[in-house]
Amino acid sequence: MEGSDIAEEVRPARESIAWSPGRETVHADSESPPEVLLEPLFWGLFSVGGFITAFLFPVTLFLLFFAGPFGLWPTDPGAYDAFVARWQEPLVRLFFFVLIGGSLFHGTHRLKFMLVDAGLKGRGVEAFLDLGLNGIAIFGSLGALYYALRGWLF
Amino acid sequence: MARHEYPWKRRPGWWLRNPRYLAFQLREAGGVVCALYGLLLLNLLMQLREGESTYVAFLTMLRTPPVLYLNGVLFGLVLWHAISWFMLIGKAQPVQLTRKPLPWKAVFGINVVLWLGVSGAVVYLIFGGI
Amino acid sequence: MAEQDVVFRVTRYRPVPGGRPTFQDYRLPFRNDMVVLDGLNYIKDHLDPTLTFRWSCRMGICGSCGANINGQPSLTCETFIRDVSRGVVTVEPLSNFPILKDLVVDFDDFLNKLASVKPYIVRKDWGDWTKEYTQYPEDLEAYRQQSLCINCMLCYAACPVVGTSPEFIGPAASALALRYIRDSRDEGADARLARLNTKNGVWECTFVGECSVVCPKDVDPAAAIQTLKVLATMRHLRRLLMPASR
Repeated sequence: MEGSDIAEEVRPARESIAWSPGRETVHADSESPPEVLLEPLFWGLFSVGGFITAFLFPVTLFLLFFAGPFGLWPTDPGAYDAFVARWQEPLVRLFFFVLIGGSLFHGTHRLKFMLVDAGLKGRGVEAFLDLGLNGIAIFGSLGALYYALRGWLF
Repeated sequence: MARHEYPWKRRPGWWLRNPRYLAFQLREAGGVVCALYGLLLLNLLMQLREGESTYVAFLTMLRTPPVLYLNGVLFGLVLWHAISWFMLIGKAQPVQLTRKPLPWKAVFGINVVLWLGVSGAVVYLIFGGI
Repeated sequence: MAEQDVVFRVTRYRPVPGGRPTFQDYRLPFRNDMVVLDGLNYIKDHLDPTLTFRWSCRMGICGSCGANINGQPSLTCETFIRDVSRGVVTVEPLSNFPILKDLVVDFDDFLNKLASVKPYIVRKDWGDWTKEYTQYPEDLEAYRQQSLCINCMLCYAACPVVGTSPEFIGPAASALALRYIRDSRDEGADARLARLNTKNGVWECTFVGECSVVCPKDVDPAAAIQTLKVLATMRHLRRLLMPASR
């Protein structure tokens, strides 16, 4: 009869978590998966980087790349003489270090999640992405620190 | 012993199904663009170190029409990223500074005002004023 | 009230080997005061008794009747046909879950995730039944919003991360964890944050925010997860920098 093969198949494939008499196990007590080590730290840097890019990028990019060519500003802050003059200030050097570091940690974190979401899953692939993308952020930040300090402290 | 369940598979282009998903993807793209600009700024500092001619050549390349318009599009994504960041802070308020969470539009407004103030400070402290 | 017609395009799936979901169209009369659930029940009563779907309270409190209506995760008992009809209303099972039959989905994983955040008061002195655990209205207010969850799973259907990463703990389980963490009577925050500070815990969330948009009870799981990220990070830093305090 047609109905019976369906009735045969619809049986639980694994232990039901519904209560039944004599069932002592509570799934809440089962082993928790292992905790992560670095992810909260990279998320913290991503968050701080998000604030940095949201507050500082619009005006900085506008002044450096668009104010001059479109004549939207009395001076051209991106021009060599103007920029070199500002570059002598330690605050300006710190500013660009923070901006580059923050944007790199923020953007590489987002890129990792975009790529994983698009299908680059699997432990090996994700470890590679973690290493590669955070590596770019770390080396980029160190590079920014080097150029910020060069010509000032050494 | 199979249950003959039909497994779920997410369709590609899922993010075109509704405007909020699309806004999310653009925001993510804006975040990645921020990292690209970070590398660009790093390169700018490297060219600055090299000397006037290399710096000017790099900056001129960035400002020639095809690259300039691409720059404009990317800048648009950065702006959307900033705007959506202010909205997200309002919607999540993960660090509670008030007794009860404020309406998100109020927090968004506060962030915009802060952004104006910070931008003004950047103009004067970093770029030496108008 | 004037009677009009509407077409319900409903997913049909028979759980047989090699079976695939298809659509079946039903034309039915509707009045302006009918919800989608009324339409499904009309189909079952008058047109096709084999159509299978979950429902119970028909008033938006039991969480049984979740479905994708025109692609949007909604409760069929709370969605008026007049609001979603342009002649055709498409009713599909909730996204991101395997289909058992027609509009019925398998949510065992969801129940496991709920259980894994220890959704009960955890205290060292549990068992001392002579004590009374008092709570002031302000204490209740701290977790009331997250306690309103009816486990309808619309948030899991809306979340694109659940769609590709079925192990992700998800919005409702996270909101439930926050409900207990914020409960003044509870002492189990550390154990729950340990469960959330895992690869498939809160870190997979990218704050799309759709979960909070579809939630019929305004639980706001998206905000809950971001709060949990901050709490988990602070706990993690404490454990790394001050291991003696574990």
